[in-house]
Amino acid sequence: MTVSKSNIPAVLTGLGAAALVMSACATPVSVRTVVVTAPPGVAPGAAPGKQVLRWALEGINEPSTLDPAKASDAPVVFATGLIFRGLVQLDAQLRVIPDGAASWTVSDDTKTYTFKLRDNLKFSDGSLVTADDVAFSISRTLDPKTGGGSSGNGAYYLTNILGADDLAGGKASTLQGVKALDPKTLEIKLKNPSAYFLYQLNFITGYILSKKNVTSGDKWYEKPVGTGPFVLSEWQHNQKLVLTPNPNYWPGAPNQFKSVELVFYGGDQGSTTAFNDYQTGQVDVIGSFGQNPIPSQFVPQVKDQPDFHSAPQFVVRYVAFNNKRAPFDNAQVRQAFAKAVDRSKIVQLLGEASVRSQARILPGGIPGSELPVQALDFDAAGAKKLLGDAKFDPATKVVISYGTEGDNAKVLELLKQQWQDNLGVDVTLEPLELQTFSQKLTDTYNDPTKGLQAYYSVWGADYPDPQNWISQQLRTGVGNNNGAYSNADFDKLVDAADVEIKDQAKRLQGYNKAEQLAINEVGWLPLFSPNTSSMIKPYVTGLVFTGQGVVIPDWSAVRSIERS
Amino acid sequence: MFFAQFVVRRLASLVFVLFSITFLTFIVGYLAPGDPVQAMMGAHRDPDTYARLRHEYGLDRPWLEQYTGYVKGVLRGDLGKSYRYAGRPVWELVQQGMGTSAALGLAALAVSLVIGLPVGVIAAARAGSTFDRLSMIVMLAIFSIPSFVIAGVLQIAQVTLFKAGLPNLPTSGWGELRFWVLPVVVLSGASTGYMARLTRSTVLETLDADYIRTARAKGATPGRVLVRHALRNALIPIVTVLGPSVAFVVVGSFVVENVFRVPGVGFIAVQSIGTRDYPVIQSVTLLLALTVVLMNVLADVAYTMLDPRIRTT
Repeated sequence: MTVSKSNIPAVLTGLGAAALVMSACATPVSVRTVVVTAPPGVAPGAAPGKQVLRWALEGINEPSTLDPAKASDAPVVFATGLIFRGLVQLDAQLRVIPDGAASWTVSDDTKTYTFKLRDNLKFSDGSLVTADDVAFSISRTLDPKTGGGSSGNGAYYLTNILGADDLAGGKASTLQGVKALDPKTLEIKLKNPSAYFLYQLNFITGYILSKKNVTSGDKWYEKPVGTGPFVLSEWQHNQKLVLTPNPNYWPGAPNQFKSVELVFYGGDQGSTTAFNDYQTGQVDVIGSFGQNPIPSQFVPQVKDQPDFHSAPQFVVRYVAFNNKRAPFDNAQVRQAFAKAVDRSKIVQLLGEASVRSQARILPGGIPGSELPVQALDFDAAGAKKLLGDAKFDPATKVVISYGTEGDNAKVLELLKQQWQDNLGVDVTLEPLELQTFSQKLTDTYNDPTKGLQAYYSVWGADYPDPQNWISQQLRTGVGNNNGAYSNADFDKLVDAADVEIKDQAKRLQGYNKAEQLAINEVGWLPLFSPNTSSMIKPYVTGLVFTGQGVVIPDWSAVRSIERS
Repeated sequence: MFFAQFVVRRLASLVFVLFSITFLTFIVGYLAPGDPVQAMMGAHRDPDTYARLRHEYGLDRPWLEQYTGYVKGVLRGDLGKSYRYAGRPVWELVQQGMGTSAALGLAALAVSLVIGLPVGVIAAARAGSTFDRLSMIVMLAIFSIPSFVIAGVLQIAQVTLFKAGLPNLPTSGWGELRFWVLPVVVLSGASTGYMARLTRSTVLETLDADYIRTARAKGATPGRVLVRHALRNALIPIVTVLGPSVAFVVVGSFVVENVFRVPGVGFIAVQSIGTRDYPVIQSVTLLLALTVVLMNVLADVAYTMLDPRIRTT
């Protein structure tokens, strides 16, 4: 998700039990997972029913809603994932596995999915879940009358469902592609074959809602009914959400818990306050969301402690250039600026414990990242030559814009220094408030000739698939392609790879070739990938850190400490 | 008769002040750069939803109409809808914090009176003594050190206590009494210092008066002189200062509430400033102005009641 969506929204929770059903699923994601287990000698948990887990939700002070169709901030997405669930979920290896759906089959042309709901699937209020509820939920998330519309999350993630765009755009009043064949069977038809549809379905826009609950009033989400492991028992405004085990959770309620508290820590100082509270024993897990890690100034003092965890994530910070405005409409100029950057200095600046150098678009661990790409390495002399070849006028005013948050200012100062030292170009930095920055990105998308020249942004994976990084960022015309990068060969390659189902190797090759093109022409200038930077009390076990954030494969294995 | 006239005149000026404030905050919000609907919609570009939202928030009307609509709404109790929390009434958001802020503020004020007044009185009674000198230095210190510095020091102290395994206080949040301690201590600091010093000087001044000499000459004990004769008169300036003190406490709570994550009006206000949630900012400003003006009116009224010599025109 772009900066303007204000957070990396893809924190996905999962339960690991069944094996893969679908052969067309993406290959298992190999990423170094950090599994938090109890160290020897520490009793993993006390008697059931009294444990309390307090989890910091940094970055928000108060969720604007708990409606899965509307939530987009990572902490709120996490909260909804404890209350609601969908047909599928992810396991610790980030593979799609069954959740509300016991099994599913795919047609030969790979465009029709038939899901069989679990027999004993119930909502938290005890009512049985039917295929109608699922159809209702998906339709609702797209329908502009119920708050969906073509700018909603539903349209973004579920666009591949047949008729989704028509419903979202108001041209149809029902969703053509989703049908309840009988109370336990749901059929979903797609527009195009897709290797990652199930990942898109896994996102919160696919969560199952109870029609009775949702239609009970405007503020229905204050008493939400879902199929997740917990129910919302108390919402202390501007303070925290208190959740208790859902007795109707199909794998069995996580009854070792008395409650799970999700504590809000918003504003500029939120992460610092959370860190202080962790130090005084008021909260058990902090820094679990990629966009809101432990403030970097504290990392050196805690990085050697056993309760500090730093794991790679599918997040890349990059510089992008406006391909339709001088001077960056010239590929040689873009290449010069790319080659003038020494990423090792950035890693040094932010700390090796916190970031890794990233010279290509796909972060390590995403399928396809095992295929190599020739990156534009640091080469000051080469960069200068390229600039000369491009007949770049050193008097040109170059402005790079960015949103003020976290360490952005530090990174930009370093880049400015490098471009000055290695190219002799004096780049002007334009720090902007986050909202203003996101607006300017939109303006640049709408009219590149009048937009920003260059900007610094971030992308965090919605799901672990190369499509989310290659096609979704740099194909001509896509929403995130604010710099208007355009290459006809690139488009051909990704369009073919997007619909390739049968031959996974061929698909990844396609993305790989496209990525190489984009690297050569600097569609992105990738800089680094920040690690998660979190702290977890030693008495909390059962959490798994993946590139996609914290995954809790099995709530019954999670332990915390007893509290009165 | 005279008194009634006075109150009515003061209330009339209140109306004028409030109108000016609503106009100013409205104009600031209206002219400020940035398109709130665009900010709400994020990266998605959908002209239909954009138009619909603009209409819903009344942003497609001319500014005068928007302003009068806003004022009419205020008089009805409708403070508009939040930009950040799409569609939620501002009043609902603000009202959640009002009780908390009031509790925090009143507790801090009570502490500052309970500590500040006696310290000031005793210091005045023993003017020139070690107690006097020492206490006034301490009071000056807590008055001048910024609240966020005191807060920071106290928080570090709590972390140290926790690490040493000793009982400690929560450094953020709001709930039972133990959550109140640090925020109240920090918030009351400046007012306590101010109250103490002010009380000392007014009591000293009063103790110089003729009628005090008369009382002493009549044989009244020092205690009786102090309490029965001096204090009543010395308290008049304190009362007048209480009005602005309440305002000070309310504003001071912006810092304290944010540092200690107390979910009051100050907390909501700072968050709404950060997210450019103009309807909430406008309403909080209005609320604060209302409080300040009302407290001043009350203080003036109390002042005239306490001292019949005061003729107010």
